[in-house]
Amino acid sequence: MEPSSSAAMARQTWELENSIPAASSDPDALDAIYRYDEAAHTRAQQEKPWVNDPHHFCRAKISALALLKMVVHARAGGTIEVMGLMQGKCEGDAIIVMDAFALPVEGTETRVNAQADAYEYMVEYSTINKQAGRLENVVGWYHSHPGYGCWLSGIDVSTQMLNQQFTEPFLAVVVDPTRTVSAGKVEIGAFRTYPKDYKPPDEPVSEYQTIPLNKIEDFGVHCKQYYPLDITYFKSSLDSHLLDLLWNKYWVNTLSSSPLLGNRDYVAGQIFDLADKLEQAEGQLAHSRFGMLMPSQRKKEVMFCTIFCCVIFNN
Amino acid sequence: MSAPSDPAVASHPPAGAAAAAASSSSGLTFKLHPLVIVNVSDHHTRVKAQAACSGDGTSAAPGQPPRVFGCVIGVQRGRTVEIFNSFELVLDPVSGTLDRAFLEKKQELYKKVFPDFYVLGWYSTGSDVQDTDMQIHKALMDVNESPVYLLLNPAINLSQKDLPVTIHESELHVIDGSPQLIFVRANYTIETVEAERISVDHVAHLKPSDGGSAATQLAAHLTGIHSAIKMLNSRVRVIHQYLVSMQKGDMPLDNSLLRQVSSLVRRLPAMESQKFQDDFLMEYNDTLLMTYLAMFTNCSSTMNELVEKFNTTYERSTARRGGRGAFM
Repeated sequence: MEPSSSAAMARQTWELENSIPAASSDPDALDAIYRYDEAAHTRAQQEKPWVNDPHHFCRAKISALALLKMVVHARAGGTIEVMGLMQGKCEGDAIIVMDAFALPVEGTETRVNAQADAYEYMVEYSTINKQAGRLENVVGWYHSHPGYGCWLSGIDVSTQMLNQQFTEPFLAVVVDPTRTVSAGKVEIGAFRTYPKDYKPPDEPVSEYQTIPLNKIEDFGVHCKQYYPLDITYFKSSLDSHLLDLLWNKYWVNTLSSSPLLGNRDYVAGQIFDLADKLEQAEGQLAHSRFGMLMPSQRKKEVMFCTIFCCVIFNN
Repeated sequence: MSAPSDPAVASHPPAGAAAAAASSSSGLTFKLHPLVIVNVSDHHTRVKAQAACSGDGTSAAPGQPPRVFGCVIGVQRGRTVEIFNSFELVLDPVSGTLDRAFLEKKQELYKKVFPDFYVLGWYSTGSDVQDTDMQIHKALMDVNESPVYLLLNPAINLSQKDLPVTIHESELHVIDGSPQLIFVRANYTIETVEAERISVDHVAHLKPSDGGSAATQLAAHLTGIHSAIKMLNSRVRVIHQYLVSMQKGDMPLDNSLLRQVSSLVRRLPAMESQKFQDDFLMEYNDTLLMTYLAMFTNCSSTMNELVEKFNTTYERSTARRGGRGAFM
């Protein structure tokens, strides 16, 4: 059928332009990542290359299944933060996440030891899974920040630092389901914290994201204590095949989805927050006689917020 | 948000295997979430990779990947059965039955996290329904009195257009005088939550996720919409061709299909009332206002930068005088 072939051609040109390595024609090579190698795992545990280099892990590879599970779970939580654990392995400087599962605890900003409650569940789940053929170990945790972006709050940073001391290798992933739905692209971030008293080299801020006013202090105080990892996704050959065929069935959903209607609440909240920020910027402008520098920072921030909202509306 | 029935597909009835040729008459509508499909496929890939790695070919026929089994969970509301999620199960190789203790434990764990879902049936991989499957199906009947059986065909066949996923129900039919349970195929539609759709889209087409500027993301999003519209266009063309050939007399008249097509056509235009126009214009104006505000702030920020730069250059030349710049 011509439409599918021209769609395939368009996709190939896009892939070429963005220099995505051509999908390996050998399905076995693509699926090799799914193999669990006990020997390699014990070797890595003994060598512990991450002890010496706090910046050792710089990439995170997430499987299609794990991503889907995390996003669906986060979205099901609505405005409540949810959390769960991820299973996988580490390979060189990348942490590979094969699967994720939800934990029956509701994370709140004030509960530091939410994970202690979930240990029983985790142990039971892991042992059961080993029977069913899921041999990997827990390699990280994920939680959601519905509506306020992907970053680690103070509690998250201390939890992660604790984890990195005792259960290495460990990865922290944050998902924002509200922004995912509103922006039309997956909002996800993977982080690792630096050990205490480690001064990281000054890196430029990668991508600006708007943080609501009431959380901005928490963000600012801790933002230098962790660093983000590059996230790439992978899927098996069967996954790619099924997903291609799936497109034949739900192109209708793509057309019928209406982000404007679905995100009314969130957008209203964002505009409210924007109004607050504008007022603050104005206030600072009025009070300072010299130094256009202070308000200009604010103005830049406000500009970015509005551009972000603009992108939402363009969708 | 489920896909409407496609009359074009109905004109080519699929040829079914002997055991599952009859189509379900129970009247239940099935909705399947993509998460289940990815789950089953991942389970299969994992088991296949492990088996290949350990060189163990005793259980399955050589060249055939081992079958995997699992449970599907979801919700049944009235006549609609919606399958949301799934998890793996262990099959006892000796007796050929599912491990009940395992199933119960897993069910408990999943109940804690997803309290609304309950067991709706089971899944397996393979190219066709096998005779032993009925035993497993009957065993599950005490958990759910009418379980569904989801079969995924993991063989990658590049020429096929349809998803290799079939849903089967069991029905009591009288064959040769004795009532027997046989599998009958049921139709299903794919149902997604918005977030699910976005992440499936993301992984399927490997869109640029981070570092991409707003422009590339917009381009990627519009490409998605463009291909969806293309699909719509091609499907409409198929219907059109079918009608033309029917008019010419090449194809036999099928009244039920014609009725479906006419009802489709009558649905357009979808919405034409004053209230809709008002609401629509209001949304439109809101969006335009936001864009305006964004541009406004953008301009003022650029202007601000210009002023700063001017100040800096001007101040340098008058630094000795110690006065402030004239633009204050």
